Amino acid sequence: MTTAIAINGVSMEYVTPEGTTHVLDNVSYEVSEGSFVAIVGPSGVGKTTLLRLLSGLQKPTAGEILIRGERISGPPAGLAVVLQDYTRSLMPWLTVERNIALPLKNQKLSKADRSERIESSLEEVGLSGQGGKYPWQMSGGMQQRASIARALAVRPSILVMDEPFASVDAQTRFDLEDLVLKVRDDFGITTLMVTHDIDEAVYLSDEIVVLHGRPAKVRDVVTVDIPFPRSQIQTRNAPRFAELRTHVYAMVRGLE
Amino acid sequence: MIARRIWHWLLAILIGGWLPVLLVTLWWNASASSENPFFPPLELIWEQFKLNWVFLNVPIHLVPSLQNLFLGFAIGVVAGIGLGALVGVSGAVSRYVEPVVDFFRCIPPVALVPIFILLFGLDSAMRVASIAFATTFPILIATIEGIRGTNLVLIDTASVFGLSRAQMLWRVRLPNAMPVIFGGLQVGFQIAFIVTVASEYLGSGFGLGAFTLIATDSFLILDAWTGVLLLGLLGYALSLVFDIVERLTLRWYYGQKQLA
Ligand SMILES: Nc1ncnc2c1ncn2[C@@H]1O[C@H](COP(=O)(O)OP(=O)(O)O)[C@@H](O)[C@H]1O
Ligand SMILES: [Mg+2]
Repeated sequence: MTTAIAINGVSMEYVTPEGTTHVLDNVSYEVSEGSFVAIVGPSGVGKTTLLRLLSGLQKPTAGEILIRGERISGPPAGLAVVLQDYTRSLMPWLTVERNIALPLKNQKLSKADRSERIESSLEEVGLSGQGGKYPWQMSGGMQQRASIARALAVRPSILVMDEPFASVDAQTRFDLEDLVLKVRDDFGITTLMVTHDIDEAVYLSDEIVVLHGRPAKVRDVVTVDIPFPRSQIQTRNAPRFAELRTHVYAMVRGLE
Repeated sequence: MIARRIWHWLLAILIGGWLPVLLVTLWWNASASSENPFFPPLELIWEQFKLNWVFLNVPIHLVPSLQNLFLGFAIGVVAGIGLGALVGVSGAVSRYVEPVVDFFRCIPPVALVPIFILLFGLDSAMRVASIAFATTFPILIATIEGIRGTNLVLIDTASVFGLSRAQMLWRVRLPNAMPVIFGGLQVGFQIAFIVTVASEYLGSGFGLGAFTLIATDSFLILDAWTGVLLLGLLGYALSLVFDIVERLTLRWYYGQKQLA
């Protein structure tokens, strides 16, 4: 399999007036094309920091990140994000449709192509016909669907999500998890997702990266050898699921 | 839905309108038998008002005032939002500009009129410049504050989606700042109105300020009162228009607030 993202010896330090925080220490990891990777670790370990580095929003203090062999030096083309705080990541002055249209302005698309993209993205996330609503007229789960639709509309090859379902209720969360799996299936997008929910990580991914320590290192990479397609009821009740989650849980807690 | 909205509007106007109606009624009755030459009956003022302003004096006194007001305000809006956007976005510029802004905003706007007379002479360029200058500061300050307040999640999301700096400003930071900017526009407009009248007190034969002042100086008390009455009505009407524009522009903001 080809490598979509290569993280090579990345370290990150935040320098503030209060002092220097060493967050990531020599993190290396390779993401294969089309795979689903979950990043887990205790709160404050540096998961968001790693995603920000990947998204080109910050530069690492040492090391480099390559996307298809090219070193990134800013937000990479073909990468889209969905952030945790959906109440603040959609523009409240634009309808959902126009929110989705905004990143498309810089892609050379005909008017017809653009509306086709918007329509099909809305359909993919189950929001057909809802594009005329404002984000604040929607529930949290629907807003997060809209964020995903916006990400899909740019036809990304890499989708990066930071705890995207942290603040929706359990049922909505299951629905959104299955939505994300469907999206990966339909488009073959390489997906990286930070989550603090270990069950969610096991349910969704091909591989789980466990960050641990201060500064954080890659403590373990767990291959989730549960076949696709997965289902909320069967997969979560499989013995292998229980084994993996116990293992990952111990890793996150630093017990093993 | 629409019908309910209109009903709410009417109700608001009824409730908000009773106080002015009461005051006018009081004024009308209290002044009806007044013998004081400086406090004539409202009925006489009203008769004179119709003579003066429907529409005899409109072209020479109302039109120039409105022209100065709108032109000055428009320049102030462009300058205030333009500079504010620049300062809000760039940390480097703001370090130099902000002390200057803080200094000028503390000077009462009307106090600057004499200085502008020195600079521009006594014609309408002076008046427009005074209005524009005074209007700029509240709008500038609101714009800086509004643009600084853009939340980081929005900025991060937009930069990952590849928006350019110009798009970031125009499509994200400015719309996001609009509710705060409108606060500045409101204050700016009130100041513009005051400065419009004040600037006509000096060296002008035209405009509402000049009309009222000349009438007072010539003991044309009724005329003076009609000028004041017109200013009051005008101020009220303009602020009503302003509210409507704000409500329409910030529909998303009020809608969101209503649900929260
Ligand atoms: N902009 C910043 N400046 C200084 N320190 C930061 C900044 N962002 C994050 N940190 C620190 O880096 C550490 C990791 O943060 P983060 O990546 O958000 O962790 P996680 O997402 O795993 O909870 C925390 O200790 C946090 O306080
Ligand atoms: Mg985080």
